Amino acid sequence: MDFVGFLLTQCLNAFSQAAVLFFIACGLTLIFGIMRIINFAHGSLFMLGAYVGYSTVAATGSFWLALIVAPIVVGAVGIAFEKVFLSRLYARGDGGAYLMVTFGLAVIMGEMIRVIWGPHPHGVATPDILRGVVFLLDQPFPKYRLFLIALGVIAAISVWQFLERTRAGLLIRAVSQNAEMVQALGTDVQLVRTCVFGFGCAMAALGGVLAAPMVTAFLGMSASVIIDAFVIVIIGGMGSFLGSIIGSVLVAYVQVFGAYYFPNMALAIMYLLMLVILVVRPGGLLGKEE
Amino acid sequence: MNWKVGFIVCAVAACVVPFVSPNYMLTVIIEALIFGLFAMSLDLLVGYTRLYSFGHVAAYGLGAYTSALLLLHFNLPLPVTIVLAVAISTAIATPIAWVCTRTHGVSFAMLTLAFAQLGYAMIYRFKDFTGGSDGLTGIPRPEGPFGLDFFQSKIGYFYMVLFCLLGSFLLCRALVNSPFGTVLSGIRENEAKTAALGYNTRAYKRVIVILAYAFGSLAGALYAPFAGFASPELFFWLISGTVLIMVIVGGSGTLIGPIIGGVFFLMLENQLSEVTDLWPLIFGSVFIAFVMLAPQGIWGILTARFKKPAVLPQGGADGETTSAPS
Amino acid sequence: MTQKSKLILPGMTRRQVVKAGLAATAVAAAPGYMRTAGAATPIKIGIPTVITGGYAVLGSHVMRTAKLVKKMKDASGGVLGRPVEFLFKDTQGKPADCVRKCQELVERDDCRIFTGVVVSSEARAIMPKLDEWNSFFISHGNGDGRLTAELLVPNFFRANTSAPMGARTLALFLKNAEQNDFYAIGSDYAWGHSSVGAFETQIQNVGKNFAGKVFAPVGNKDYSTYITKIMQSGAQGCYVALQGDEGRAFYSQAQQYGLASRVTMVTEIVAQANIRALGKDSVGLTGSSRYPFTYETPENAAFVKRFTEEYPGELPDWSDGEMMQALDILFAAMEKADSTDAKKIVAAMEDLEVTSVKGATLMRKCDHQGENQGFVVRVSESSDYSEPIPQILNIYKREDVTPTCNSTEYAN
Repeated sequence: MDFVGFLLTQCLNAFSQAAVLFFIACGLTLIFGIMRIINFAHGSLFMLGAYVGYSTVAATGSFWLALIVAPIVVGAVGIAFEKVFLSRLYARGDGGAYLMVTFGLAVIMGEMIRVIWGPHPHGVATPDILRGVVFLLDQPFPKYRLFLIALGVIAAISVWQFLERTRAGLLIRAVSQNAEMVQALGTDVQLVRTCVFGFGCAMAALGGVLAAPMVTAFLGMSASVIIDAFVIVIIGGMGSFLGSIIGSVLVAYVQVFGAYYFPNMALAIMYLLMLVILVVRPGGLLGKEE
Repeated sequence: MNWKVGFIVCAVAACVVPFVSPNYMLTVIIEALIFGLFAMSLDLLVGYTRLYSFGHVAAYGLGAYTSALLLLHFNLPLPVTIVLAVAISTAIATPIAWVCTRTHGVSFAMLTLAFAQLGYAMIYRFKDFTGGSDGLTGIPRPEGPFGLDFFQSKIGYFYMVLFCLLGSFLLCRALVNSPFGTVLSGIRENEAKTAALGYNTRAYKRVIVILAYAFGSLAGALYAPFAGFASPELFFWLISGTVLIMVIVGGSGTLIGPIIGGVFFLMLENQLSEVTDLWPLIFGSVFIAFVMLAPQGIWGILTARFKKPAVLPQGGADGETTSAPS
Repeated sequence: MTQKSKLILPGMTRRQVVKAGLAATAVAAAPGYMRTAGAATPIKIGIPTVITGGYAVLGSHVMRTAKLVKKMKDASGGVLGRPVEFLFKDTQGKPADCVRKCQELVERDDCRIFTGVVVSSEARAIMPKLDEWNSFFISHGNGDGRLTAELLVPNFFRANTSAPMGARTLALFLKNAEQNDFYAIGSDYAWGHSSVGAFETQIQNVGKNFAGKVFAPVGNKDYSTYITKIMQSGAQGCYVALQGDEGRAFYSQAQQYGLASRVTMVTEIVAQANIRALGKDSVGLTGSSRYPFTYETPENAAFVKRFTEEYPGELPDWSDGEMMQALDILFAAMEKADSTDAKKIVAAMEDLEVTSVKGATLMRKCDHQGENQGFVVRVSESSDYSEPIPQILNIYKREDVTPTCNSTEYAN
């Protein structure tokens, strides 16, 4: 394998990994930006997405339908949770309360999934059209991962443009800047919060469905993913959408190349990166210090 | 009510526990007390300085591994080992505190997490020394100076843990009520204002972070010889999350609350899992119920009975915020 | 699960009586007391396993087989004429919880026989305590080779095939394979290192070239960079010591990269749970199996029949078979010792040979390792089942598969 081919493969490896991470991290960062909530249950919502995706595929045979159904179902769960619990806590402005409520939700959801789907893992087959490899510079690369990269890019650009160009996007940015001001101007901040929370959960679910053909749906997929997502959000800057894109790519690159050249340090590399960035820029790359 | 009377009553009541509780319960009680101590150490940061650490497990893991390694390699008397383990952990925590206190808020939380995860990674990296995923097993409890060996029995160990817990509580209480503690509350309420008054707030924060690590490592140093092993799970980030929950459940900014929270958390988990396999459902619901119905925590519920119209915020994390009423 | 809480009261009174007995003769008191209490006193066996959390699938196998065994034993008159009672405890896969739950089993329930421990770090945490607890522990699935070598304690036995045995079986199988260079990937924890290390030695022993190895951190989920590394190595074969979640992630992704068309993958553990989740993608996977349910003996046929009747739609996984064998061996030792005392079980189990679902297994005295046959299987589609199944390619004699005493090495 020549070096250029190797480099290309590794870069694509990293981008495909970044795509999955992005789906989780962008929801987390948007939710934080607008509500100042660290959503501990985000990994569990990702896991729920994978399981709902599995059931959809099992029932209909369509992976594409799963990509639509899972975000809707999980988004609805998120909205219900926000309405019933979180919305009652905003007035309190207490970070610990959010942490506890979302921690409770994570515990409950993990157990609900075990009760509903059983402890066994469930596979989601790669859709036929995305099976197999394409050869890039003589190196095989999975079609499925190219699809992930494409979808990630499309999603990132769409959400970014939505936030920048539309009135709703403007509103979201305004709420994250100064919620009280927006409220005073007569906008229903509560509605914005509910929508953003639901959207963040739906994005996590999408990530879950997309990850399922690579890792299968299993109990415990939440724990490994939430911590990566935290790190990305922090590196990019809490609440910064662009930051979550950069953070995802950066973390994926560091993991892919780090695990290649320093397999002994694979566990530590991501945290070393976060440490360095936070020491140099305490608010993260694109964030401002709280 | 005079707190000293309350303290003595509680201490005496705690001393009686081994005689009234069945022997098998003592294991979980000792672990619960250790976790109470651990949660209390975090309260110094969360409740008194408003520094949310998300990597406090590093203190626990450090304490556990240093005491385990010391006992396995040097076989010094247990009390000496524990003191040494705390000293070493504190020394290691000093540069960590120095880096972390450059920031605050979420960045602080994540920096502490980064260090904890690095610790976790190091356990795997230096497996010849730490045992890697195997952990360290067969940790002895060598008898102490002057032939002290009461801690070799379970009841004796209970008293040693209790002694450490009560001692730490008194120390921490004295600390937060001292002028030093007043500055900390100042930092909690408004760091900029406190700095403007001429206090070097970063130095204060550095000290309190080091102290929190010291007490946290004491908890870890007590755990490893009790369980007889140390494993990488003692460094796992999820424990940082659960201990934060313990602090909040108990009532942050009260010292006693987090102790109760830690004991409550561990006992609840242990006992619920005895009763039903679906225990996580109940466990999770309890936390949500606490936030929704009893935001002041367990200690808040307990004390509300005694002092009805008294001060409302009572050192709660949000004394200053004057946001819209609910 | 209500019966669990009810246990507390009778357990407590018994404990107090036993405590009095212990004062007189520490060792003999417990069984002595039990016998006078009447034939109906159940034999308690503690199962500190993973009920909730990430490893729950392995715990669920342990529990379903134990429940099935209880039904079978109770129907056939029990063990030593007494019914069997399994006490399931949730450790969540954490060593700290495992130690605590075992301690409670000993002190509250006077239950001194353990099996069904899933995670090897849990096993390691409780093993040094067995003597103090006067307890007995038989492993049904812990793979780390050192448990019956440098880490052995007197009250521990391993009924199952260990990681070095799995690696050895594969090496014997690969001796005549067309591939010459082998690479290895393992999980960065005890079992992974034990397995890869054994394979490295064994494959060189049979005259092949070992091209290199890499360990992925515990909980790793994206294997793209490791797959690239394997392809780069130029090896024609790759040994995979990843199981559970990690194994499935690796195979799914390897499939997407078309790795199988370039490199022949062999694995130390073929698990039905993974086969089912991977579906058709698992077909062709070759590896050693700790227990393939397709093994054709009367004992195993009876077990599989009973199992599929009890759990329609399920197939016994390796951990079900290993659990079944461990319990068969445990009960045989109890019958032989005519006792449930830890020390007496140990004595009775030494050099005991039991024919269970995996054929005749000898619990050798020197290092308490069970000498198991070695199975090599290939995952194939079958018209009899709705999912792919392990098809046995070769079976190796237990003498050839089991390491020299007290070691993870082989004489030749």
